[in-house]
Amino acid sequence: MVESIVSTGVAIGCIYALIAITYNVMFSASRVFSFTAGTLGMLGGVLGSLFIARMGMPVAIGFLLALAGGAVLGIVTEIVAVRPVLKSLDQHLYVLSTLALALMIQQFTAIEWSTEPQPFPRLFDIARGGFDQQFWLPMLACTLVIVGLELLYRHTLIGHAFLAVAEDNFAARALGLPERSLRMASFALAGVIGALAGFAGGEMLLAFFANAPMLTFYGFVPVALGGMGNNRGAVVAGLLLGLFQQAANFLVGGIFASVVVFTMFIIVLLARPEGLAGATFQRRV
Amino acid sequence: MAITRRQALVSAGAAALVSGLGKPAIAAKEPILIGYLPALTGPSSSTGVGINRGIQLAVQEINAAGGVDGRQLELITRDTQSDPTKAVNGAAELTHGQKVSVVFGPVNSGESLAVVPLLARANTPQIHPCWVDTLTDPKKYPMCFRNAPTNQQIGGAANRYVVEVLKRKKVAVISDTTGYGTASVNAYVPMLKGMGADVVYQGNVDAANPDLKPELLRMQSAGAEAIMPWSVNAGFLSRIINTRGQMGWDVPIVGQTTLGSGQTQALLEKPDYWAKVYPNNFRPVCYAAGGKLSDRTNAFLDRLKNAKIDMRDTLLWWIALGYDSPRMIAEAMKNVGTEPEQIVGYLNKLKEFPGVYGDIAFTADKHDGYPDNEVVMVEANSLKDGAFSLAPGYGA
Repeated sequence: MVESIVSTGVAIGCIYALIAITYNVMFSASRVFSFTAGTLGMLGGVLGSLFIARMGMPVAIGFLLALAGGAVLGIVTEIVAVRPVLKSLDQHLYVLSTLALALMIQQFTAIEWSTEPQPFPRLFDIARGGFDQQFWLPMLACTLVIVGLELLYRHTLIGHAFLAVAEDNFAARALGLPERSLRMASFALAGVIGALAGFAGGEMLLAFFANAPMLTFYGFVPVALGGMGNNRGAVVAGLLLGLFQQAANFLVGGIFASVVVFTMFIIVLLARPEGLAGATFQRRV
Repeated sequence: MAITRRQALVSAGAAALVSGLGKPAIAAKEPILIGYLPALTGPSSSTGVGINRGIQLAVQEINAAGGVDGRQLELITRDTQSDPTKAVNGAAELTHGQKVSVVFGPVNSGESLAVVPLLARANTPQIHPCWVDTLTDPKKYPMCFRNAPTNQQIGGAANRYVVEVLKRKKVAVISDTTGYGTASVNAYVPMLKGMGADVVYQGNVDAANPDLKPELLRMQSAGAEAIMPWSVNAGFLSRIINTRGQMGWDVPIVGQTTLGSGQTQALLEKPDYWAKVYPNNFRPVCYAAGGKLSDRTNAFLDRLKNAKIDMRDTLLWWIALGYDSPRMIAEAMKNVGTEPEQIVGYLNKLKEFPGVYGDIAFTADKHDGYPDNEVVMVEANSLKDGAFSLAPGYGA
């Protein structure tokens, strides 16, 4: 039982964490919570299944094309649903615009792909059983993203530029940084991470259009728990959510598992509204 | 030349007389309009697409044979797109705009729940194949008939198979959290208990849950000897079957027809996992021992082959159900006419209409026409040409 809780719990937790990072990368660049994050995850699975299982492409090419699809959707999100509402952030219009775009993509997927879950291909031709690839692939993807983002943000010029825009976009623009291009690059990067989450978790979640709202919802929980814009907090909270959810599945079971998870979520937020790892904001007046 | 009031009245009277005399001759050749509300697109369209192939074939055959008393049948089709709102709009247009004689459909329960009361108010005879029990009620909806089984019959057949044929007394009943799933569990668990079974596990689980191992371990530790899933979600059902396979647990899975669908099959990790999975189906369209179909069904299959109707992506019972429905309507009209009261009066006394899908009979007090004993369980992994073999234990 413990083995099953850990393997499935950590794997699903990694998927939640990756979706949470997708939210954060978009948030850092624009101060917008784009609800297309879960849609990107869903598309990673659907595009992977489309390219590899249905069109018969090699795994590597299907993988790269699925990530490219995520990047394109990330850029489209920025242009269509984020840029037009940036001037009125305080009115929170982005909630409507990003949700609308997410719903449109979800419905389009349902019509053009399938309303039934479709199989996701086995990526590596190795025997099933034990610590299977459907568990370690999301963990590997999550580790690579965390390490990759750390390297990007700490050791590259463009990473520093991302951080500068996230810290204060007015100041960054005043210093001559191309804020709009950096924002689009951030959304493309978020698209790649979201699609990677869905691709790595494809075998577990299947290629199913209805994964979009599920991932949008469960991916947001680590963002809220870990602190908005805080990737490390999101990873820790995502893993905890996955483990806690799986433990609740075993110990309580059925529909009550979801009730337990959200009761815990509400209790944590009541105790620490800024999230477990979030810092309280101080506004300069 | 000025026309006087008297001349105008005489002319109008003459015109009315001429049109009145001419009308029966024209009406005799007018097509009979049959409203048809299938879900041909959208999430629940696989059933509608299958049924549609049978309906179209039957109408072609009836019309080629001269129609009903020289009048051709004309299907007025409104695709519900699997959406109750669109089904309601379609039903309103069929009754008020097109003035159809009778409506067949909708073919999904969710849509029928919205449409049945509307057609009852419009005094339009309706025949539908939806399973939700409340979708017929001779007092509330006196013009509505069901030529398919009810949920009670579906669950009853599965429960009888588990308890009486497989002789399993400890049963696990699981569903997803949809209205259909929870309603099925709530209806079938008391039935099982009434038959002397011990329901050792009962649960509703979110269909999106990627890992059902906790639930199956709970069933196993409770001593379950059979799993009965009630869901139309192929992902949910395949996860139950896959998890049973991974656990190496040799326990039968008995339940909803979707257990035997191509979508469920496509999601199985190994083809072997489909063994010992027994979904609902219907005896007249199943292979009996020795792989034989009845003469009536074989003749129907020949007709399908001649008409080049594709069987690979659908199920025989869907096509058979579609094929029977306009034939039953045409038979009623041939015998009594096309007025609503005439059709309903005939159906209220219908005795064993010989359908490919099953023999249908109604009375004034019972508008559920499908016979109990024709609802059976089949072997999921025996699917061939849209039909299944009867599950072990039914005999010849």
